[in-house]
Amino acid sequence: MKKTNIIIIFVVLLFCLPAFLSHSLVNAVNQMLIAALFACAFNLVCGQGGMLSFGHSAYFGIGAFATLHAMGVMGAEGIMPTPFLPVAGALVGFSVGLIAGWFSTKRTGVYFSMITLALAELLHTVAPHLKGIFGGEAGLSGMRMPSLGISFGTDIHVYYLTLIWVLLAVGFLYFLTFTPFGRLVFALRDNSHRLRFLGYNVHRLGTMTFALSAMFAGLAGGLQVISIEASNYTVFDMHLSAEVVLNTYIGGVNVFIGPLLGAAVMTFMGNAFSDLTRNWLLYKGVIFILFMMFMPTGIVGFFQILFTIFRKYSLRILSPFLLLASIAALLLGFSTVYTVEMMQRVLSQDYQMLAQLAGANVWPAIVLFGREWFPGTGLFYVVPVFLFFSGLAALKLAIIKWHKIKDNDESGVSGATLPEKSGNDVSEQNCEFNAGEKV
Amino acid sequence: MTNSALSLKSVHKSFDEAHIIRGVDLELFEGERHAVIGPNGAGKSTLFHLISGQLTPCKGTIKLQGQTIQGMSPQYINRKGLGRSFQITNIFRGLSVFENVQIAVSQRRGLQFTMWKLIDRIGRIKEETDELLEHVRLTTRRDTLAGELSYSEQRALEISMTLASDPQIILFDEPMAGMSHEETDYMIALIREVTKGRSLLIVEHDMDVVFSLSDRISVLVYGKLIATGTPEDIRNDPLVQEAYLGEGVGA
Repeated sequence: MKKTNIIIIFVVLLFCLPAFLSHSLVNAVNQMLIAALFACAFNLVCGQGGMLSFGHSAYFGIGAFATLHAMGVMGAEGIMPTPFLPVAGALVGFSVGLIAGWFSTKRTGVYFSMITLALAELLHTVAPHLKGIFGGEAGLSGMRMPSLGISFGTDIHVYYLTLIWVLLAVGFLYFLTFTPFGRLVFALRDNSHRLRFLGYNVHRLGTMTFALSAMFAGLAGGLQVISIEASNYTVFDMHLSAEVVLNTYIGGVNVFIGPLLGAAVMTFMGNAFSDLTRNWLLYKGVIFILFMMFMPTGIVGFFQILFTIFRKYSLRILSPFLLLASIAALLLGFSTVYTVEMMQRVLSQDYQMLAQLAGANVWPAIVLFGREWFPGTGLFYVVPVFLFFSGLAALKLAIIKWHKIKDNDESGVSGATLPEKSGNDVSEQNCEFNAGEKV
Repeated sequence: MTNSALSLKSVHKSFDEAHIIRGVDLELFEGERHAVIGPNGAGKSTLFHLISGQLTPCKGTIKLQGQTIQGMSPQYINRKGLGRSFQITNIFRGLSVFENVQIAVSQRRGLQFTMWKLIDRIGRIKEETDELLEHVRLTTRRDTLAGELSYSEQRALEISMTLASDPQIILFDEPMAGMSHEETDYMIALIREVTKGRSLLIVEHDMDVVFSLSDRISVLVYGKLIATGTPEDIRNDPLVQEAYLGEGVGA
């Protein structure tokens, strides 16, 4: 029952967090929780049901607006006590999901994705015109009311409200995977054709899966509204639908905890890095591509592989390889970040203006990583190129090291060895993963 | 043996220009084991697809225990009591052997939308599943991923899934393909046992199986039944010998 212990410790930790963290960090964790629930809800359709929805922002947004109306917009009286507001989001999400799911699950694969995309875009286009419901382009705002003796005036109150709802919802979604329905959802992904010939109504099953997913997406939207007390039509944007897809895949779709982890990590990094760089979206894209190319099983898959090799080899044998891999990741990551940041700065209008003012052949200094760099000098170009190639060299060495570890193992007594191909992949994936992670 | 479990009346199916099934009349009596044989491309699998709801006939009627079923959905036909297996193994590869059968068993229990019970805690489903696995000798492979089973084991799994819904009419599409002699013998005995009191329609290329198992045999050639009768009749039918057995497959 080791797994249960870890979960309990983690939950207790979440409950204790506000005692250690500043208000802004509590807010960040709040956002992480909401993103995690959204990704988890999305994964019911995507990872478990095997249907890639491209329009899940629709249900998140619907839930957000439903909750806002239940809370009471523009000074109107709310219809529910504050702690139960997300229920409105969940119920409306479920109802809309039932309708949308009925249409979209009539088809599978690309056609399914296209229908979900079209439905979400439809909502995105129509929403600004429905002033009464979505508040036009300006959106709507409301106010959390004290309820059940709690003021809900501080971030801490909101955090606990979010935490309890997220734990309940994620707990239910986890439980669901062990129920007859949950098992059928897996079967749906695996072979819907066979299900039909076993007497199951596949369309109804798909619709139900979709509606449940929309319900929890709506709940997540509701929680967000409780936190920020406002919403506008941009919540239906494609951007949000894409984000949940990226987060889910980066976390890993095959394991229940994957999307939770992916969404939490990416939301945290988004919060942390968006102040430091303007290119966060670019890095996010790079991370996603690296994952899809080298580690399609996501963060969870990466840890699974790490776990496997650590169980198989001692740290003493592994340490040179791990050291080299980390160095490679650092160097490649650093040179990538340097190149991206410098290009963005040099090509920015501000800098072009400065350069013009400074006169011909003079390049003003750029501050990055706490020091000044001069685009006119050779060093400016040598540094990233040098770092990049030393990174590649370190990567190559790490791969060689890995093969040595494996060969030694094979010549030894141990029978169970990783196959040649996957062994090779491990080292590469390892490095590339780190390279992505560090940027 | 006179009540009809399944009856096909002048069933036609064409795909664009290709006229695959050209007017088939077939009667499957209650409790009989009936084989459909014929050369490759005769339309045997298409016939099964038409009966089980995968395809809709262009013309003709199909009745299952007196009820018209042509053009109905596969799940409707399955719930009416018809179970089928597939020529190309059709299982849930990413799930364990136990889970495969478990899913097949659950349908009759109306558990499709049960979200408040743990499936592994539902005792009668577990019992039935284990019983079926025992039947097809897969008990030791219970927790293996279905996709990792050997070919013949997958065939056995396919059959146990077909049986799981307790169908009154069973369609087996080449159940023995790829099985060893010993496995085939076991499977014949198993099919004999499980089809007691049920009606079986089987497509099979192994003539030993066909002649030892069937009460009656129909011969399908280019989308038409050229003969139906007892194994003895079929063996001696000159038309059949010319069209099919004459090719050297002789029993």
